[in-house]
Amino acid sequence: MAIVWKDFVTEFKTRELFSAMFIFALLVILIFIFSVNLSIVKASEVGPGILWVAFLFSGTLGLNRSFVLEKENGCLMGLILAPADRTTIYFGKLISNFVFLTAMELFILPLFMVFFNIDLLEHLLPLLLVIFLGTLGFCTLGTLLSSLSSNLKTREIMLPILLYPLLVPIVIGVVRMTGQILAGEPLSGMMNWIGLTASFDVIYIGVSIMTIDHILEE
Amino acid sequence: MIDIPKPDPSHFAIVVRQLCKEFGGLKAVDGISFDLKRGEFLSVFGPNGAGKTTLIKVLTGLTRPSSGIAKVAGYQVEDGMSEMRRQIGVISHSPALYADLTPMENLVFFGKMYGLDHPQDSALAVLEDVGLAIRRNDQVRTFSRGMLQRLSIARAILHNPSILFLDEPFTGLDIHASNVLKEHLQTLHDNKRTILMTTHDISCGLEMCDKVALQVMGKFAFFKDIKDVDKENFEALYFDAVRNNQFTMDIRPN
Repeated sequence: MAIVWKDFVTEFKTRELFSAMFIFALLVILIFIFSVNLSIVKASEVGPGILWVAFLFSGTLGLNRSFVLEKENGCLMGLILAPADRTTIYFGKLISNFVFLTAMELFILPLFMVFFNIDLLEHLLPLLLVIFLGTLGFCTLGTLLSSLSSNLKTREIMLPILLYPLLVPIVIGVVRMTGQILAGEPLSGMMNWIGLTASFDVIYIGVSIMTIDHILEE
Repeated sequence: MIDIPKPDPSHFAIVVRQLCKEFGGLKAVDGISFDLKRGEFLSVFGPNGAGKTTLIKVLTGLTRPSSGIAKVAGYQVEDGMSEMRRQIGVISHSPALYADLTPMENLVFFGKMYGLDHPQDSALAVLEDVGLAIRRNDQVRTFSRGMLQRLSIARAILHNPSILFLDEPFTGLDIHASNVLKEHLQTLHDNKRTILMTTHDISCGLEMCDKVALQVMGKFAFFKDIKDVDKENFEALYFDAVRNNQFTMDIRPN
């Protein structure tokens, strides 16, 4: 929890991560609003894709920044030298990334509701569950790959190239579920998608635990 | 088969036998062997690219050795990492401090990472030791290089380690900051901490140490007690090594 505390104190002082992610997500939604004719297509059909593109793209900004902060001044070396297990460092960063991204998503949701004229309050609980599953999968894999790409000169380019192909199963799952929720379908009708997304979340956590030791080695 | 004597673990802080670290065929550390007793101060000199930083990285567990054995504080480096890390402090080129946090916040954070019972008290105590208590609530971003290096020492000794690794700690310091750092290192040495320091500063390195090593192309080409070292002759050896990145003078590895 020390890493989470440190990330929160840093973010509270700088407000770099949250503001960058929020503004970027807002801009993505605004661009789509002007490029999609909502009198022809249903908001519930295009909305889920736009919402998740905004979440994932802005989340990638946050992930890139997250490990760059650790690399500045050799702080990551200081962390690795501590007697704590390296998976502890990974989970600390994962929790921080998850909380920051979820907070940003909760701020974006009301704006999305207004821009697309969709009543999300009716389906809030199932939607929050889907957002939880999607964000967890994204942060699990994203934290692992950002720790890997932070050692590269081309880290801003490499992270999305590595991350997005591996995220495909989760993205398909959460976009489909969000669409079904906005169309008023009950959660019980999408158990396969929930199972698929949750399975990938678990797989990514397992892979991260197995590989983080080697990734964090200099 | 590497011959490993069985040193008294309470006597030796660092035991290294035939240590090698290769990067794609390039031997950054090439068959180094030495012992360092508890409380001793070893200065390692050598030209850029001689493998001094890699040696420290291997001994601190930041990177795995390709072959050979290293025991630090009685723990074999690859096996007892967690226990070994409680016994060591590292000061590197970079301060390993978060620029947006204050010294107090930085040290409390690292104190928690080391599992200290009272990280606030420990942080304040080491800040007083390095003379930065008065600046404890300023952002680290505003600190000079000399202050950063002192704060770096505070971070390294926060958990009261018995062994310190210093990688070129005098780099980028002005004369005053350099003298202040030297005083701090002398105090740490007087307090019976084992110190392994890599440096290019010959006068500082020779003045403080008990043992001297010269690393060239990954090997220890020279390893002696300071009392057996002719300082002028050593300077000539060092400059020869820096100029040619190899030995042309007639010396034999110890």
